[in-house]
Amino acid sequence: MKRNAERMELTMFDQLTDMIVNYVEVKKEDIRPESRFIEDLGFTSFDFMSLLGEAEDVLDVEINQEEAANIRTVQEAVDYLTKLV
Amino acid sequence: MNELRSTIYELLVKAQEAYGEQDAIRYKVKDAGEGGKKETKVRARTYTQLREDSERFSAALAGLGEQGKHIAVIGATSYGWITAYYGIVNGGSVAVPLDANLPAEDLCELIDRADVTALVYDETKANVAREAAARCPGLKHLIAMEETGVPGALSMRELMAGAPEGTGYEPKPEDLATIMFTSGTTGKSKGVMLTHRNLAENATALDMGYEPGLVIMTVLPIHHAYCLSMDILKGTSIGAVICINDSLLRVAKNIKLFEPNMILMVPLMVETLAKKLEETAFIPAPLIKAKVFGKQFHTVCSGGAYLNPAYIEQFKKYGITILQGYGMTECAPVISNNSNSANKAGSIGKCMPNCEVKIVDEEIWVKGTSVMQGYYKMPEETAQTLEDGWLKTGDLGYVDEDGFLFLTGRRKNLIITPNGENVSPEEIENKLGANRLIQEVLVRENEGVIEAEIFPDLEYASKKKVKDVPARLQEIIDTYNEAAPLYKRVFRLKVRDTEFEKNTTKKIKRF
Repeated sequence: MKRNAERMELTMFDQLTDMIVNYVEVKKEDIRPESRFIEDLGFTSFDFMSLLGEAEDVLDVEINQEEAANIRTVQEAVDYLTKLV
Repeated sequence: MNELRSTIYELLVKAQEAYGEQDAIRYKVKDAGEGGKKETKVRARTYTQLREDSERFSAALAGLGEQGKHIAVIGATSYGWITAYYGIVNGGSVAVPLDANLPAEDLCELIDRADVTALVYDETKANVAREAAARCPGLKHLIAMEETGVPGALSMRELMAGAPEGTGYEPKPEDLATIMFTSGTTGKSKGVMLTHRNLAENATALDMGYEPGLVIMTVLPIHHAYCLSMDILKGTSIGAVICINDSLLRVAKNIKLFEPNMILMVPLMVETLAKKLEETAFIPAPLIKAKVFGKQFHTVCSGGAYLNPAYIEQFKKYGITILQGYGMTECAPVISNNSNSANKAGSIGKCMPNCEVKIVDEEIWVKGTSVMQGYYKMPEETAQTLEDGWLKTGDLGYVDEDGFLFLTGRRKNLIITPNGENVSPEEIENKLGANRLIQEVLVRENEGVIEAEIFPDLEYASKKKVKDVPARLQEIIDTYNEAAPLYKRVFRLKVRDTEFEKNTTKKIKRF
């Protein structure tokens, strides 16, 4: 079970970083779980909203805008999205 | 074609008579599709349905003894919100749109200050309804747009189903229609009193040349005067199809779904979309435009904050016109606007036909039928802002030889230097902000010198391989200083690693 959960998380991280590189000029391998979207990766608040909108489509989930406003790091986004899938 | 309307009732009735069976509002709903899986569908309401539903809601309010009272509306943009708004104001009551992003405590304070007796809310704001019911003594009725399970709340749908077709009431132009709270970047928010004439004439005075059936997608918060007036009231008056963007997350997706011709935006959104266009610069312009906005898209109206004119030029390459406007809630709200027939980059357009502008000590003063009646229960603040019918905007600007208005800054933010010179921080912010490395900048006086606090565009820095960002920022300031008079020079630089805190309309909080 644990291994499955880890694998799923890895996939989610991969999927998310694939999307991130379409919004900001950063190399996929430079994105860390602890990277903060706005401060470290250079997202604006509206860029970040747009990324989550894309994640909704790719992962076929529905994101609550108010909950999403508390997400700051890539890991937090991975955790949040994993919960929804 | 646009004709002047002097009440919101007249505006809706004439639109219904002209465009009856045409779609007025389109919005997304989730329905169970085949196999029970939820599917997103587009639902539409015609002009006739909008008028009939809103008149039933007027009658329902009258039945509750709420006619002529102050009724707050809170929630995301929805058909229910728009129906409630038209129902309230056209039935002779006063609508108080509330900012859905404010904490419940602040909302309760506004409900008390505006003497609100009924609150109409959507499911996302059930917590506010619960708290308001417990804390606001003047509140008599809670009305839920959907069923939300708040004890004692009435259902809007049931109230309408049991109400007569209308009230027969016709509001007069001078009747108070709306109290709107200014979001204000400084100080306590004020309740701006706007009559039917203020709002209806502001929405209909300028003929922007749009044809009925124009598809608008509304993305800004609906309690915002700019959105309510330009998207909803103006949209209705010209027979537009108003499509509701359900979340800021889904702007790109909803553009593909609704295929709008025009969107009203604040500059932050223009900047993000500009990047989308830029990133794919190796593809021919018409293809990029089709991918990002769809082929049918042609106009962005921008307001609410300063927009760098470079974006106007960039969008032009893709066949998209950006029309920059200027206004404030106190003027219902549009004061000036660029239009297709009169458009000058860098200006905020020509004054609205129902208003006149004069410049007093560099400050823009406005008079006309859009100017508010005053701030609700704030006589001192009203007296400071209105003088012989003139609204003192607090903005600094000038009118050029062709009648276009230009902004140079905000009066209340003026920095007075030790030798008595006046410096407008926005003027410096706009000059520095024109550099792509600078994403956000705030200029202020600190310990006797002018300082600039900058949040750099780190994405741009990495793209351009700028290694030492602070050093490069200092170079930008040095270059600016060389050309600036001594009293306007920036002597201190602070570099931020986070965006500035914004108020709910995405303006930087100055203090």
